Amino acid sequence: MNNTPLPDYIIERLPEIWQRIGEHIFLTGISTLTAVLVGIPLSILAFYRPGLRGPLLGTVSILQTIPSLAMLVILLALFQKIGVIPAIVALILYALLPIVRNTLAALQGIAPEIIEAAQGIGMTEWQKMRLIRIPLGIPVIMAGIRTASVAGVGIATLAAFIGAGGLGEFINRGLALSNTRLIFLGAIPAALLALLVDFVLGYIEKVCDPKRNRHRSHRFHIGMKLSIALAPLFLLIPVFISFFPWSSQTTGSSEKNETKSINIVRIASKNFTEQIILAEMMAQMIEKKTQLSVERKFNLGGTIICHQALKRGEIDLYAEYTGTGLMAILKLPAINNPDEVYQRVSEEYRNRFNLIWLQPFGFNNTYTITVRKQDALRNQWEFISDLIPMSSKLVAGFSGEFQERPDGYPGFQEVYGFKFSKVHDLDPGLIYQALAKGSVDVIDGYLTDGRIPAYNLVSLKDDKKFFPPYHAAPVVREETLNAYPDLRMALAPLGSLIDNTTMRILNYEVNENKRDIPELVKEFLKNKGTL
Amino acid sequence: MIALDQISKSYDGVSRIIDNLSLEVLEGEILMVLGSSGCGKSTVLKMINRLIEPTEGRIFLDGKDIQHQDPIALRRSIGYVTQGIGLFPHLSIRENVSMVPRLLGWPEARINNRCRDLLELVHLSPEIHADRFPDELSGGQQQRVAVARALAADPAYLLMDEPFGALDAITRDSLQQEFLDLKQQLNKTIIFVTHDIVEAVTLGDRIAILHEGRLEQIGTSAEILENPATEFVQNLFAKSVKYWKDFKTIL
Repeated sequence: MNNTPLPDYIIERLPEIWQRIGEHIFLTGISTLTAVLVGIPLSILAFYRPGLRGPLLGTVSILQTIPSLAMLVILLALFQKIGVIPAIVALILYALLPIVRNTLAALQGIAPEIIEAAQGIGMTEWQKMRLIRIPLGIPVIMAGIRTASVAGVGIATLAAFIGAGGLGEFINRGLALSNTRLIFLGAIPAALLALLVDFVLGYIEKVCDPKRNRHRSHRFHIGMKLSIALAPLFLLIPVFISFFPWSSQTTGSSEKNETKSINIVRIASKNFTEQIILAEMMAQMIEKKTQLSVERKFNLGGTIICHQALKRGEIDLYAEYTGTGLMAILKLPAINNPDEVYQRVSEEYRNRFNLIWLQPFGFNNTYTITVRKQDALRNQWEFISDLIPMSSKLVAGFSGEFQERPDGYPGFQEVYGFKFSKVHDLDPGLIYQALAKGSVDVIDGYLTDGRIPAYNLVSLKDDKKFFPPYHAAPVVREETLNAYPDLRMALAPLGSLIDNTTMRILNYEVNENKRDIPELVKEFLKNKGTL
Repeated sequence: MIALDQISKSYDGVSRIIDNLSLEVLEGEILMVLGSSGCGKSTVLKMINRLIEPTEGRIFLDGKDIQHQDPIALRRSIGYVTQGIGLFPHLSIRENVSMVPRLLGWPEARINNRCRDLLELVHLSPEIHADRFPDELSGGQQQRVAVARALAADPAYLLMDEPFGALDAITRDSLQQEFLDLKQQLNKTIIFVTHDIVEAVTLGDRIAILHEGRLEQIGTSAEILENPATEFVQNLFAKSVKYWKDFKTIL
């Protein structure tokens, strides 16, 4: 699969590229438009009430300084919702600063003698605004809109983090699967889109400049005003694209079932390979064995986002790990017995959240402290405790989640009683490479990651039994199970189907051999006789 | 007739920019308000169309206290030529000139005819200049447009704030001549602010001399020359007369 020539690779994904570009334009366009509709009246109000200027500019400036991911997460918490709404709100908030700042500057920057003349011939405040300040300020106001739009195209790539789609979808997926081609598939169109937006708005900016087209005909002016008024309709293009028949294949086989039934099961995954494989597996089983159709909301930005979305009913199921449920979600102390952990999370999830744990897939993807094999041999490392003497010299590369979770580095330090000299925060997709290349000495690996053997890495034994078992299993809303009784049956064949080695191979096929996940899953399920 | 009755203006409550000023502008005359910069002469003008409100005193237009009039309607009924030219740079000459009639809601045809007449009146060609923009015209032409704009709604009164101040001497001279001709045709009551004695003497029916916010003297140029009321007025004119004599000698 990784040998697919680039043109074919792109052509295969063309429908989805179009769809993502459409979503991207929609996200950026609707948010910039709203920011214009909100920001310009706000600026005009602040212009007339100078007392408001400081607070307004202060607020929009502070909004601008919030890091984009933090902003998305804050809005996620605020709206209790994943998807398009919080993403658009975040983009609106970012677009406000350039628009408000430029509009205020434009309104204030008109030469005083022109204003005096306007007042002296008897214009009302509103006439001065409409006939003098706004027309003369248009180039500066447009420059603000342009800045906001171009920045918006960039920021919108992060929208995929909370399942809002757009070109960031490719980038996220590429990062999750450590697939550079996929990253470029999102990044290059996004960059081109930013250039295009800059060019188009730059052109409109020129056209709007009263000096430029002063000698054009009356018809030209009417045409111009009309086209500017109609410009927002371009936002309908992406909507059109997503309803267009050829974009339907992007959501995969789910469309086939759409005709049979309008009942939809929404399946999510976190943002790493194994999660996407498991989610795809559950999706294919449901599509095959039931009349339900599946909506894939893959690649959400982490455990908390998936769990929150599941609790609120924005998704119906995803695969969770027993240890993660126990410690990260329920905040309970570690338990070492796998069956006991499963019992405990099943009970607690049912009682607290009305969420049901189905039968585990069979493998245990525990965190492992992983090092280079050559280092392990040279230093005779076998157990984690063997690292203690050298720990002050070792540099660790940990994923963000591992550094925060109680069953991650914080708990690890307590139980093992040592720290590494330095910890780098790395994307989970990149840590194996970083270790193999020698950028760091120790990482938090997943036991089922195929890259551990492939990169000549080795996992150290957890001699203090710190890491609880992490058996993956589908977690489903009770409501959904009651509504669609077939669901349980459809997923049953996945129980105990995958052992550690199998999961490692599947992960490796995707990460290193760049296999297409739906295809790989289909093949796997066929071979196992479950499809 | 414009009447200022004991007008004072103070921004800080202590010092007065205009101090107890009373004067009358007669129907159909040009009153030149002469003074050095900072003497408050522009302030006097702006109080008449209520761009600035006096601290004390009252102003009457045709016997009516302007304090009881709507400032917007008042301004539309008075022609105003600002210091500097103050044309709207984003509007064509036609649009600049027809602004006040448009604000007043005149029908389109009447606006167009009026605009044509006005441009011809100030010696501009409607065909050539109407669709140009202010920065495509010379300083003198722009100033004519400013005058045309002020006259657009045919106001009875005209306030002119050093309209020729920024022009070169030759252009200024010819515009002053044109202005005198114009005045004959129009018969408007005009207050014209200037710091140029020659301009005051050339254009004015009467001259009001302002110094540090106070009226030093008001009268025709002959009256003032013959009988200067204060030392300030005497010095002011003496200097100019001396220059004029020197100039003649050189010739």
